[in-house]
Amino acid sequence: MSMTDPKENLMLLDPGMSLTLRPMRYPLFFDRFRDAIKNTWTVEEVDLHSDLKDLSKLSPAERHLVGRLVAFFATGDTIVANNLVLNLYEHLNAPEARLYLSRQLFEEAVHVQFYLNLLDTYVPDEQERFAAFAAVENIPSIRRKADFCFRWIDSLGELRRLETREDRRAFLLNLICFAACIEGLFFYGAFAYVYFLRSRGLLNGLASGTNWVFRDESMHMAFAFDVVDVVRREEPGLFDEELAGQVREMLAEAVECEAQFAEDLLGHGVPGMSIADMRAYLQHVADRRLAQLGLPPMYGSKNPFAFMELQDVQELANFFERRVSAYQVGVTGSVSFDEDF
Amino acid sequence: MTVTGDRTTDMAPADGVVPAPRRAQMRVRKRNGTSEPVDVNKIVRAVERWADDLADVDPLRVATKTISGLYDGATTAELDRLSIQTAAEMIGEEPQYSRLAARLLSGYIGREVRGQGVASFSQAIERGHAEGLIGDATAAFVSANASVLDDAIDSAGDLRFEYFGLRTVYDRYLLRHPSTRLVVETPQYWLLRVACGLAETAEEAVGFYRLMSSLAYLPSSPTLFNSGTRHTQMSSCYLVDSPRDELGSIYERYAQIARLSKFAGGIGVSWSRVRSRGALIRGTNGHSNGIVPWLRTLDASVAAVNQGGRRKGAACVYLETWHPDIEEFLELRDNTGEDARRTHNLNLANWIPDEFMRRVEADEMWSLFDPDEVPELPDLWGEAFDTAYRDAERAGRYVRQVKARDLYGRMMRTLAQTGNGWMTFKDAANRLCNQAAEPSNVVHLSNLCTEIIEVSSDAETAVCNLGSVNLAAHVADGGIDWERLRGTVRTAVTFLDRVIDINYYPSEQAAASNPRWRPVGLGVMGLQDVFFALRLPFDAPEARELSTRIAEEIYLTALETSAGLAERFGAHPAYEQTWAARGRLQHDLQGTPGTQAERWTALRARIAVSGLRNSLLIAIAPTATIASIAGCYECIEPQVSNLFKRETLSGEFLQINNALVAELKARGLWNEQVRSAIKQADGSVQGIAELPEQVRRVFRTAWELPQRALIDMAAARSPYIDQSQSLNLFLSAPTIEKLSSMYLYAWKSGLKTTYYLRSRPATRIQQATVPVVNSSAEALACSLENPESCEACQ
Repeated sequence: MSMTDPKENLMLLDPGMSLTLRPMRYPLFFDRFRDAIKNTWTVEEVDLHSDLKDLSKLSPAERHLVGRLVAFFATGDTIVANNLVLNLYEHLNAPEARLYLSRQLFEEAVHVQFYLNLLDTYVPDEQERFAAFAAVENIPSIRRKADFCFRWIDSLGELRRLETREDRRAFLLNLICFAACIEGLFFYGAFAYVYFLRSRGLLNGLASGTNWVFRDESMHMAFAFDVVDVVRREEPGLFDEELAGQVREMLAEAVECEAQFAEDLLGHGVPGMSIADMRAYLQHVADRRLAQLGLPPMYGSKNPFAFMELQDVQELANFFERRVSAYQVGVTGSVSFDEDF
Repeated sequence: MTVTGDRTTDMAPADGVVPAPRRAQMRVRKRNGTSEPVDVNKIVRAVERWADDLADVDPLRVATKTISGLYDGATTAELDRLSIQTAAEMIGEEPQYSRLAARLLSGYIGREVRGQGVASFSQAIERGHAEGLIGDATAAFVSANASVLDDAIDSAGDLRFEYFGLRTVYDRYLLRHPSTRLVVETPQYWLLRVACGLAETAEEAVGFYRLMSSLAYLPSSPTLFNSGTRHTQMSSCYLVDSPRDELGSIYERYAQIARLSKFAGGIGVSWSRVRSRGALIRGTNGHSNGIVPWLRTLDASVAAVNQGGRRKGAACVYLETWHPDIEEFLELRDNTGEDARRTHNLNLANWIPDEFMRRVEADEMWSLFDPDEVPELPDLWGEAFDTAYRDAERAGRYVRQVKARDLYGRMMRTLAQTGNGWMTFKDAANRLCNQAAEPSNVVHLSNLCTEIIEVSSDAETAVCNLGSVNLAAHVADGGIDWERLRGTVRTAVTFLDRVIDINYYPSEQAAASNPRWRPVGLGVMGLQDVFFALRLPFDAPEARELSTRIAEEIYLTALETSAGLAERFGAHPAYEQTWAARGRLQHDLQGTPGTQAERWTALRARIAVSGLRNSLLIAIAPTATIASIAGCYECIEPQVSNLFKRETLSGEFLQINNALVAELKARGLWNEQVRSAIKQADGSVQGIAELPEQVRRVFRTAWELPQRALIDMAAARSPYIDQSQSLNLFLSAPTIEKLSSMYLYAWKSGLKTTYYLRSRPATRIQQATVPVVNSSAEALACSLENPESCEACQ
């Protein structure tokens, strides 16, 4: 194992504010930072206008679904951003990791702005809009999810330095909670509703913005799982069976939280998306998170939503209809005439 | 917590039957208000009715999956829609579900139309006329020929649609009742209505209908939208010359563009004559803010016009490379920087003189001129341009100078980052344009999709109406059915020409141009389907030869048809100003002899006597929407992926390479593992070792082909393309080095235009439906940044 710095023997979760970028201990984190920059997008690029027409076409049951969904979005990314600042940035002691976290924080801010813009567009009535932003207080199914998040933010609240093995395990649980349960399950659940609507040709603006959000969230999750891997390498005994048990318990609770959210969203009957199918989907996603952590599956559920396959395959947007989301920023190089193409 | 140990994890082979316990009691509400229990067998029977010839469709799976997504108390209409959606979602695992979903949808549409008391084509037209949708002339024509036309409806016509195609037709093309929004025509009524809007006799209408119903040819969307209606704007493209360098002219252009856009036309507009930032405004003794603020206004105006709710307006702005605002122009689509200097809706194209490319190659300086200082440049090309440009340069009249390569590099960066900033070549476009035989007739720009090359001026806005032959429908016995292809082209050109007379022109400048030049743009789609059918790799020399041969056949036949029309109705009025009148056709201008000497000779003799009815005939448009209606690959493009989704206003659809599936099935390889492998590889089959190398070569994607081959193929067919081609190029990870090499090669190949640069996102969304690879099991990748920490090397 030579994952630690040969000179300082510094490990990723050792307390402190390392400033040393050369030699770089975790070039993978730096690569993730650079990749993230290439995915820059702005809220102004998302055209939400066509959604307004769709909103008027929705059935009352679908309108209820959309209303609840945007209410969740209104606060979801802010919660993640808070945890990032309050917990992750402090304890991941490598400047290249903090570079990535800074970038992630920016992305969360863009997401918050996107959903702010979305709500302002979707909910013209000011009182209703205020109610949507207060969803955490008023809507029980969202409140329960938020409570789950807050509990895990607070779990690290008192820890300013990770001194003991127990501290580091607490940190890992917090990280895994945010990566696997919140970004990896709550958001994945929410994305499923958006993709479901889009597969019906509805709310393309929401979907195209969500596509970009989803792309960012995929990176966030990948980074978090990279961190877990590094920590496991650096301290092999840390992620033991007890911790695995806690992770399973946490995921199971997250699935329950999200399933009761689904009962609220789908309670009025939405053809093509039944509560039972949504639960199976969430269990399927939870199993995937376990697999990413090298743990055996808990549920063995299959993905019932064929429309989720759509987001796995390339988009070929017709520019008459939609802005193509597949371009990169930060392309470099200089003019040359003998390159192969 | 429930742990079920007996089921496999993740995406195990989709055996599919989702158990539906406790759902037997679920009920649906019928249209008459009563409710009844959901009956699986009833759904199974409904599916079986449409699945006779679809061996790999499992009606029971469709039924059980449909019920699994249902809720208690749903309506039967919801049940119908859900069954269609459910079948559509299974296309990714078995392409035959596309046919099934299309047929279920066809049944649904039929019920919607009949539910309004419409039982025949003529009744549909009558109803549409009463509701103010159908034009008087078409209503009268149909009423006079009702029985012949009603009998012509091919009840099996809908069976030819794939789901994506029919869905698009239903969502966007069928006429809807103004208040109920229900469709008042079936897909076959729609095609016959389009034919009747253009026909002079019932016989002609039926012939044209049959051609379209066979999906062997489709006119472009504006014709499909508007033929036979009260607003017969059927042209796809308008090319608007730059406003003059004055306020009134600029605002006139906004108004003109809005009118053109309203009825579904795509706009190309040049802005090269408008003075640049910092130029003196004599009237007020102030300084101009340059073109960017004007283009911001254009951007807002274009976005405001929504084409009858069917799609958003779209425009492309052309700027010549010597304009001093060129760098700001190239940044208009960036998503960073000051938003007040960005246009998110406009497309951008460079209108490039050869002199610039020569200086790039020689690494020389490039001078930028203000158009109010050197106003003659937009109207000059070739040697006349070179001379004027160099004279102005020597006289020191430039605003400033830049290194040609720096500007070229900037253009490449815009392409890489936005796909926009298309490279189009002014001198090739003019040198090879049939309309530009006289120096006063100048091509000032191309159009929204860079396939139209026509002269324009302040007083004349160029117009083109388009249609595309579906080459996939012309494959027979291991080759092309040339006789059928000729027949298709003859009908197509006749009706494209007809549009010119019936068309409604939204601006006087457009109405002034089109009757004089009578240009049309016949293109192709489904070239990739042909290569798949014949198992030709896209970059094989045989593929290039075949593509060239097809282009020659189409151009030759189109000219023959146009000559025939000229013999009946006379040459187009501006014929004397064309190269054709001087005996020179497109391949003559390009110095290529045709291969069918006898037919060319006979044709020339006819042209010498009667001229041509149309100044231009061939343009290869992108065909995005009509290709999906016809169920073939777009225009001349290679496939982008063997498995991809298409985003349209109708939502997202999964599309799969049918030819590949057939090949895999024949080899016993069409299973969940292979499917998953293709998905994980982003639609590539290059990693599937069980497929022989030559098969994998056939099924490469655009990202896996040498782009040189695409350029070579385009250049090889260009002697038979009298307008131009929407040529997209594909680089998954573009660099300035690759791009600058590629576009220099494209210019040297003599292409008039190129279109989008397609690239891929830097990172991607985590795939949700392919098996997870546990990342902790992977070694960290080797990195030169930190060799001592790399486990792979130790």
